[in-house]
Amino acid sequence: MTTASIASPQLLERTPRAPLGRLLGAELRWVLRRPRTLAAFGVLALVPLGLGLLMSMMDFGAAPLQGPPVLASLLGNGMVLPLAAMGMAMPLLMPMIVSMTAADAIAGESSHGTLRGLLIAPIGRTRLVVVKAVGVAAVTALAVAVLALLGITAGVAFTGTTEFTSLSGTSLTFMEGIGRVGVAAAWVWLQMFAVAAVALALSSLTDHPLVVLAVMMGTLIVFAVLGGIGDLSWLHPVLLTTGWMSVIDVIRDPMESTALVESSVRALCYIVIGLSATIARMATKDS
Amino acid sequence: MSLSTEPLAATGAVGAAQQAAPALAARTSGLRKVYGHTVAVDCVDLEVPQGAVLGLLGPNGSGKTTTIRMLLGLTRPSAGSVELLGVPMPDGADRALPHVGALVEGPGFHPFLSGRENLRRCAAAEPLLPTEGISRAVDEALERVGLGHAATRKYRGYSLGMKQRLGLAAALLVPRRLVVLDEPTNGLDPAGTREIRAVMAELHGSGTTVVVSSHLLSEVEATCTHVAVLHQGTAVAQGSLAELLDAGTPTLTVSTEDVQIAVDTLRDNRIPFWSDVDSVRVELVTATPQQVIEKLVLAGVGVREARRERTGLEELFARLTESDVREGS
Ligand SMILES: Nc1ncnc2c1ncn2[C@@H]1O[C@H](COP(=O)(O)OP(=O)(O)OP(=O)(O)O)[C@@H](O)[C@H]1O
Ligand SMILES: [Mg+2]
Repeated sequence: MTTASIASPQLLERTPRAPLGRLLGAELRWVLRRPRTLAAFGVLALVPLGLGLLMSMMDFGAAPLQGPPVLASLLGNGMVLPLAAMGMAMPLLMPMIVSMTAADAIAGESSHGTLRGLLIAPIGRTRLVVVKAVGVAAVTALAVAVLALLGITAGVAFTGTTEFTSLSGTSLTFMEGIGRVGVAAAWVWLQMFAVAAVALALSSLTDHPLVVLAVMMGTLIVFAVLGGIGDLSWLHPVLLTTGWMSVIDVIRDPMESTALVESSVRALCYIVIGLSATIARMATKDS
Repeated sequence: MSLSTEPLAATGAVGAAQQAAPALAARTSGLRKVYGHTVAVDCVDLEVPQGAVLGLLGPNGSGKTTTIRMLLGLTRPSAGSVELLGVPMPDGADRALPHVGALVEGPGFHPFLSGRENLRRCAAAEPLLPTEGISRAVDEALERVGLGHAATRKYRGYSLGMKQRLGLAAALLVPRRLVVLDEPTNGLDPAGTREIRAVMAELHGSGTTVVVSSHLLSEVEATCTHVAVLHQGTAVAQGSLAELLDAGTPTLTVSTEDVQIAVDTLRDNRIPFWSDVDSVRVELVTATPQQVIEKLVLAGVGVREARRERTGLEELFARLTESDVREGS
């Protein structure tokens, strides 16, 4: 066959794009209809509810308290419950849920063969990462919201008070308490989105969602162990998990913000690195 | 195997149009893809004329899917270049792909969503589909592939053929300039296969270029205007179906119960042929039909029927890919 010239129709000179809002809507609908996302929210809901139940039982027993300080300060202090719930879900449960979501977002779609469909549409490789990041961020936000809102509700319901005593012993109003919970929720969201951003990068490297989950959880556990070794204190500033205990700081009066700010900056660095790596990887990923 | 004449007529028409305005919907040159030590595709120079239905033929592992994936920008070639609708790939993917519908390596959908919801998700990502047109486009695509009745059922519960149909529906959501189908009849029943052919004929009729891969030769022969045959990653033949068929020698099919005698006779006379259970197909290179029949009858072969045929694509394919099948030459 002889070489013929390829026609270049004018239609192809512009680049049509599906509206970003429509893509985000479709992504959110998909993520929120997925049974495992809903199951994860269900499991998360058990944390504040369980804590509330425990608290009301301790109330009746009126025994001298032993155990973690967060739990101890729960007694008769309804607004601490959402903070305790977030503190408890943060080391393992929440990272697991956001890693799972990030794993499904790219590796999962790739293994289902659906990523191919999005790339052929075409959705645009960078936009794909944006859409995926927004989807994971939304799930993270909803997960934190479940903890915070159910925590507040359970706290008020089980203690019957809306009063709020800070760790420093001063008393705060209900609205101030809500504000503190809000700050804590935003901070937890940022930390968890940092986990998600790294998980997304891993997700773009493999076709197996379970690998993402395993590597991410393994990394966090190693971080926690390293964080506990005093001799390695020079390493601590780069570990994402450093400062994850500082959620307690929001209920000091006045609020102690140094550790919160420092860990937020660290989380932002992880987010930038994670998302950049994801975009770079997706630009050339085979599908 | 029968040889229908319609595709040949269509080829003629396309061929004429091509001479007037030579235009290609897709072109690859020196295309090569290496995975580790496996050379999946090597030196493939493919030309897909606009408006053609190109059958990409080849046995398993011959590089059909890999070629298609490079055409669509899903994989970067190790060497060589791809132009899709006049745009270099994969860099021009955002410009070319909105006009391209594809079903590659089987359908990919989410099991927990219904067929319609899955399609809506695909439709949301289609750049050329206006938001208000999504519902209609999805329903029409479902009807077109005969899935209207199962639209609300979960994809999880779809049969293999239904999954394949949904994949086809996704490729047909928007009117396309080019539709690429990788083994579209996989898992389909005969009715489904006919429907796919009908869809391809419809696309062809509306001027859409179609690239379809298959290892079922009869399929390609019945629906395509052009053929490219891949073998171990290289294109061993390509051109219009008519050209390729003419390149083959005419044959004479002799039906008989005495196949063994016929085989011996032909072999003794050094006449090339293929044998079957109740017939021999004789290549008319050295002998005329009269001579062949005379020799057979004289040898005592009970000739039930003798039919002159042109070489079908099956023989062409066999000759190109498994040359050791032939005997007697
Ligand atoms: N991702 C990959 N990694 C390694 N090898 C691959 C990969 N994809 C394809 N190959 C190899 O490239 C060759 C061509 O594969 P390809 O899938 O293109 O064949 P095909 O013609 O589509 O076959 P089939 O008819 O079975 O679908 C095969 O040898 C295959 O093993
Ligand atoms: Mg294949």
